[in-house]
Amino acid sequence: MRSERKEPGLQQVDELNSKQREGQLNLLQTITMEVAAAGDIGSALEIVLRRVCEKTNWALGQAWLPNKQKTLLECGPVWLCGRPELADFRAASEKNQFPPGVGLPGRVWQAKAPAWIDDVREDANFPRSAAARALGLKAAVGIPILSGDEVIAVIEFFMREPRNENEQLVKVIAAVAAQLDLVMERKFAAAELSRTNEILHSILSDMGDAVIVADKDANFLVFNPAAQRMFGQGATKTPPAEWPHRYGLYLPDKVTPFPADQLPLTLSIRGDEVNNIEMYIRNQKVPQGLWTRITGRPLHGANGELLGGVIVCRDISAIKEEEFFRAGQSQVLEMIAADKPLHEVLKSLVLLMEGQAEGLRCSILLLNRDGKHVRHGAAPNLPEAYVKAVDGATIGPRNGSCGTAMYRRQRVVVTDVMTDPLWTDYRGLAKICGLSACWSSPIISPQGDVLGSFAMYREEKRGPHREEERLTAIATHIAGIAIERQRQQEMLREREARISLAAESAELAFWSLYPEQDNVWMSDKGRIIYGFAPDARLTCDSILSRVHPDEREKIKAEYDSACAIHGKFESEHRLLLPYGKVRWVIMRGRCLKDEQGKIIETIGVTVDVSSQKQADLQLQVQREEMAHRNRVSLMGEMTASFAHELNQPLTAIANNASAARRFLDRGNVDPAMLRELLQALAADSKRAGDVVQGIRSLVRKDTSTAQARLNLNSVISDTVRLVSTDLLSRESVVSTEFDSALPEVNAAPVQIQQIFLNLITNALDASEGLSPSERRIIISTRSDRGDVAEIAVRDFGSGLPKDRPDKIFDHFFSTKQKGMGMGLTIVRSIVEAHGGTITAENAPDRGARIVVRLPAARGEFEKNKAAA
Amino acid sequence: MSEPDAAQEVCLLDDDLSVLNSMRFLLLAEGFTVRAFNNPEEFLAHATKNHVSVLVTDIWMDRVTGLEVLARLCAISPKTKVIVITAREDSAARATATAIGPVAFFIKPFNDEKFIAAVREALG
Repeated sequence: MRSERKEPGLQQVDELNSKQREGQLNLLQTITMEVAAAGDIGSALEIVLRRVCEKTNWALGQAWLPNKQKTLLECGPVWLCGRPELADFRAASEKNQFPPGVGLPGRVWQAKAPAWIDDVREDANFPRSAAARALGLKAAVGIPILSGDEVIAVIEFFMREPRNENEQLVKVIAAVAAQLDLVMERKFAAAELSRTNEILHSILSDMGDAVIVADKDANFLVFNPAAQRMFGQGATKTPPAEWPHRYGLYLPDKVTPFPADQLPLTLSIRGDEVNNIEMYIRNQKVPQGLWTRITGRPLHGANGELLGGVIVCRDISAIKEEEFFRAGQSQVLEMIAADKPLHEVLKSLVLLMEGQAEGLRCSILLLNRDGKHVRHGAAPNLPEAYVKAVDGATIGPRNGSCGTAMYRRQRVVVTDVMTDPLWTDYRGLAKICGLSACWSSPIISPQGDVLGSFAMYREEKRGPHREEERLTAIATHIAGIAIERQRQQEMLREREARISLAAESAELAFWSLYPEQDNVWMSDKGRIIYGFAPDARLTCDSILSRVHPDEREKIKAEYDSACAIHGKFESEHRLLLPYGKVRWVIMRGRCLKDEQGKIIETIGVTVDVSSQKQADLQLQVQREEMAHRNRVSLMGEMTASFAHELNQPLTAIANNASAARRFLDRGNVDPAMLRELLQALAADSKRAGDVVQGIRSLVRKDTSTAQARLNLNSVISDTVRLVSTDLLSRESVVSTEFDSALPEVNAAPVQIQQIFLNLITNALDASEGLSPSERRIIISTRSDRGDVAEIAVRDFGSGLPKDRPDKIFDHFFSTKQKGMGMGLTIVRSIVEAHGGTITAENAPDRGARIVVRLPAARGEFEKNKAAA
Repeated sequence: MSEPDAAQEVCLLDDDLSVLNSMRFLLLAEGFTVRAFNNPEEFLAHATKNHVSVLVTDIWMDRVTGLEVLARLCAISPKTKVIVITAREDSAARATATAIGPVAFFIKPFNDEKFIAAVREALG
């Protein structure tokens, strides 16, 4: 492209006459040489402008360059041919910037071709015409300087006389411009290259990552300053096999030399890519060692041939150290989780911390639960004398760094133990140990209890650095976890010991059922309760086999359904042990289920309640016995009534039988009358039988608790009638006031009758000594909202003890000469056994009022509501 | 049947109907003329208007006790002979009844022969 474009220019030159040709060639040669020598494009343009003006008599030449955005042409170098007055035109030019197509430079820029103006004063597209006119500039020519297809500059020349386009001149100048193009292009490329080199160089110098480039023969081409620092020395003439030894290169285990044939640079020279290889470097210049992560690439030429390789190495020591530190912390935490002994854990923690900084020594002290004395925790690198002296010391406001830190619950920083007042009592010790600074922080539990202290010691007098503060925070945190955990374990063990002690003495069996494995674990006490040998293997069936056969099926079904539905179960049942021993137990269990809801374990306890059960049964027997005695005693008190009740029908029977015999003896039997007599006999026999039956049921023991639905109004009527004879003999009257809507109750008839017999007897006794007209007893019933039947028995006697009317329900309390004082106690126990209540109060005027409230039988409330 | 002779009539008083009836049958079987009362007031009303030779009464009756009946009868008809029957032996009651002056005192159940003999004797 370029050579094609140049050719016409040169051909044109050939056609000039020899003189012109000579001058033009001269010009070309001069310009070419001078431009080649020019340092930059600015001076090159100046040379062109000057030489063209000198050789061709143009009065002024100046250059225009596109701005960075390539939207406008801006004024560049100028040549005024030693005519200062032309500076005015230059000034006018400098005020202008030309977009493509505007003015002479814009036209040339847009067209990428030379333009000739015969007289600028007459040109419509020449914004600077005013300035040109003032200076008498007339003819003008503009020439583009092209690089490839791009206009890199426009040069323009003016002269004072109008002149028609000189094609020849334009061609010469164009040829010169083309020459300039070549020179400038070369100049640009060189400048660009040197600038790129400069940038690369500065990048390589300043970058923190090490960069090493080697050719395919392993000669170092680049070894940047970071690389020199990292590897302790710069490029050397060393064969690759010796690199690991020379530069101190190791595998991540820190001891095995890095295999030379596996080195990242070696691999990349060979044409392989390597990514993130970790290497440990330690040599004379880097004695503390460092970690680097390396990436390498092969270098290829334009034709793909292998030229060498490059590696970039990043110093990751800080990341690595932090990684190791974290791993160390994790290790300590794992020890805590594995319940390693506290001293081991704390020692590891102290060693980990000490490993984080040169010359650092640490210690951990534990505070006793008394909150006053300290115990040795861990101090692997402090002298034993020091450790012994501190163990058992007390904490206080001036007790060294640690004792004071625990006492104040604050961090205590002592930079010089030899002068600090807190260390007055410990200076001698510190001197022996060579300690100067001691900074201590209390270790505090989440609950706010001081557990101990963590201290750092140094041999130089100074306060902690930021990194050391950070380490302290981490150490106290981890130590807190460890100590807290150990304390909780201790408490757990103590609690376990207490629980098992309680279990032993409380006849408790602990057990776990594993249905999947059909395996049962049971505590020793449990095996005794269930009668299993201490070493017998237990299954679910072996437990079930101990349940009393009468209850086994029921218990099994209850257990299965309770576990399935509620996940827990409770039951009271009997065990039948070998040799026929029976135990009463309460068994409680809770199921542990997996995510699918399958039972994996059932844990529980079984309590042996045999002795309570025995006592309960005995108590119940006693209570029944007592109630029975009460009934018998009531019968004794009511003999007149019972005798009368029985005597009446017996008398009638005797009379009727006698009458019948007499009628028969006399021989004048009226059959109707005889029938009447026989009917009367039968009726009276039955009546006598009923009386006997009634007495029997009161006296018998076994039928006394059977319940039935009762109308209390009729029970009261029957009872009053039963005792009517006694009422007569004691000249007393019982009147009743019945609520016809009284709800029925579920109760044992005999016991309810016993309640009323007692209450009536009691009222009769209270009425003794009153005048006959005052010997009145009122029994009233009332429905309390339909769900309670309330019965009140009131007398007009001297009333109840004022301070505590309900004292009359106490055992053996009696105001009477006769009697055991058991009657009302028994009444209360019967009422309460029926879910009712009994209260005693003094009536407003005089006498006592005893109120019994019994719950209505189920369905009564609804029935009454419906009736209402 | 002609109007019975009041002098030969035996009045019975008991609140227990079966006992009352049985005594009536017993006396009827022996040929006595019997007037039975289940209610003391009715009897006392009868005694006010008629001559009552013999009264057989239960001493424990509801409402008004037999003793009270005896006391009032004494005022109305002091010559009526009374036979007392009781279901319960009670020394106090017996003493009171004796003071009023019954011709006989029986505790239920009683001997029918002795009872009939006593009634017969009372009627004279």
